[in-house]
Amino acid sequence: MGLKKQANVSVLHPVVEREYDRDLPGLIAQLADPDAAVRRWAARDLAAQPRAAAVLGARLPGEADPGVRSAIFSSLARLGGAGAVTAVIPLLRSEDPALRNGAIEVLSGLPDAVAPHIDALLQDVDSDVRIFTVNLLGDLRHAGVMAWLERVLMHDAAVNVVGAALEVLAEVGTVDSLPALRAVARRFADDAFIAFAVDIAIERIGAP
Amino acid sequence: MRTSTLAVKASPPVAITDADFRKFAEFFYRKTGIHFDESKRYFVDKRLVERIESTGAESFRAWFVALRFETDGAELQHLVNIMTVNETYFFREAYQFDCLVNHMLDEVAARKRPGSRIRIWSIPSSTGEEPYSIAIYLLERWAKIDQYDVEILSSDIDTSVLKAAHRGIYSQRSVGNLPAPYLKKYFTPHGDNEWRISRDLVDSVEFSRVNLSEPADTRRFRDIDVIFCRNLLIYFDDLSRRVAAEAMFDSMSPGGFICLGHSESMSRMSSLYTVRRFPDAMVYQKPLEA
Amino acid sequence: MHRILVVDDAATVRMYHRKILSDAGWHIDEALNGVEALECVQAQEGDGAFDLYVVDVNMPRMDGYAFVRELRRLDARHQAPVVMVSTEAQRQDAEAALDAGANCYLVKPAQPRSLVLSAALLLGDRKAARAASQGLKP
Repeated sequence: MGLKKQANVSVLHPVVEREYDRDLPGLIAQLADPDAAVRRWAARDLAAQPRAAAVLGARLPGEADPGVRSAIFSSLARLGGAGAVTAVIPLLRSEDPALRNGAIEVLSGLPDAVAPHIDALLQDVDSDVRIFTVNLLGDLRHAGVMAWLERVLMHDAAVNVVGAALEVLAEVGTVDSLPALRAVARRFADDAFIAFAVDIAIERIGAP
Repeated sequence: MRTSTLAVKASPPVAITDADFRKFAEFFYRKTGIHFDESKRYFVDKRLVERIESTGAESFRAWFVALRFETDGAELQHLVNIMTVNETYFFREAYQFDCLVNHMLDEVAARKRPGSRIRIWSIPSSTGEEPYSIAIYLLERWAKIDQYDVEILSSDIDTSVLKAAHRGIYSQRSVGNLPAPYLKKYFTPHGDNEWRISRDLVDSVEFSRVNLSEPADTRRFRDIDVIFCRNLLIYFDDLSRRVAAEAMFDSMSPGGFICLGHSESMSRMSSLYTVRRFPDAMVYQKPLEA
Repeated sequence: MHRILVVDDAATVRMYHRKILSDAGWHIDEALNGVEALECVQAQEGDGAFDLYVVDVNMPRMDGYAFVRELRRLDARHQAPVVMVSTEAQRQDAEAALDAGANCYLVKPAQPRSLVLSAALLLGDRKAARAASQGLKP
């Protein structure tokens, strides 16, 4: 007993090619397997199949195992492109915070693919969807972010959507954002939080 | 003849205002979980100025916009590198080794029959200080070492450090944290100012080259009971971090533990693990099967 | 001095709650989601523990409800009152908060006086409660 000395045989597990089919129909079938480990490997391997995004996205609402969910989101992020974006956007409406947050994470890594959808999302009737979209903008590396945020400041009626936008603007705002900031402070003149958030944004922008 | 001196107008040194510092600190905390408060001002400002100047940006603001909107995350990686301290040495962050021999291994052992195998994975191995520290701790400070077969696996993406780990020669600085009796017992002096670790310890670690982002590499690791993955994931981008956290999760036995660097938090990387607080350290655990 | 943990993923909201609550005389720590909040709670040494938690509902990694449920499973010294803060104004959301183990529920953005008053009442801080109800503090 004690520290095991190296033998000639490696302790590392040999890789055995799995008996299952690794082609698209086979993997899709395994995505519904009763065994979570099988589903997890299928989700992982589907990252190499360009047409798998829709099927992966469709699996998520019914998938309870966190390891499998995690693998599905990672594969969607790796697949990227318009397919991954359309697969996860519906999850922004989910009641399940894990699904919503997973969707935001995937989308935040796909700025060019998600950009065409932002306008519609920022005009969604559901203020929660608008808040999540603004949160997404907080992580999005896209030149349109400022303009989108300023639109929210000028036009969104919901105080918490505006609050979320101010949060992001504190980080990315420039002196060009100042007029929109002053306008939103006037629009929500009675709200202590909005006044506070506007002041923070102005301070972070470093306006003279 | 008049000589005139050309007055060369030097560009003013970049200054970091209070607002700049707060903006940076919030962004960095959001991205990495590392908190910098006012007490770290000197440390941070110096490095920010260094980065701003080496990227050729004119000001903090210009540099920050580039950082915030860059598509490949390269500047953020540079930043993480310079804002964190990267040395390796024997018994670094030893409170986690204390936790290993005082708590984690006892829990792991309680689930196994005496004589069975316990696996510990240290990644990155770097030049070997971490896996060898674990070996010394096991031999010297774990009461049950003789009752179980403990395998130490250690991996790195860089084959040159793996070679150095096999060679097992260390500087005075690297062994500086070791109690003198351990230094004497496990090392022999080498050359002027260096130490060579015993061959027995070298033989007790199985080294391998592994890229944590590469499933073909990580699939070979199974039934791991404890992982030390300290101060590595912080240098990865978000997606690679998730992939690595998932790969390590898959390699672990149910109930296995993983230790990260003291400023790292698994909560940012993956929701697969639960937090376990021991007297010596906070670690993460793969749930026991439901 | 009473210690409050403010949990919210938005830095501006944390700063806002920090300002309101520290002006009322309390010490504030922050966490940006439920998991980090749990880590922060469990990192409190010895007798140190929080006296109150102010917790947002919608956060990544672990939301407010899940945090409170996990908190209620920790040992006795961490069992302090919870003020839940949320964008939702429906009754079922307040009920969900109370079911998870929160003590009271405020709709965002919280009015400074309501936040201080709720905190003061739950902390048993009569001086702060009086000041808040008289409108002497923000």
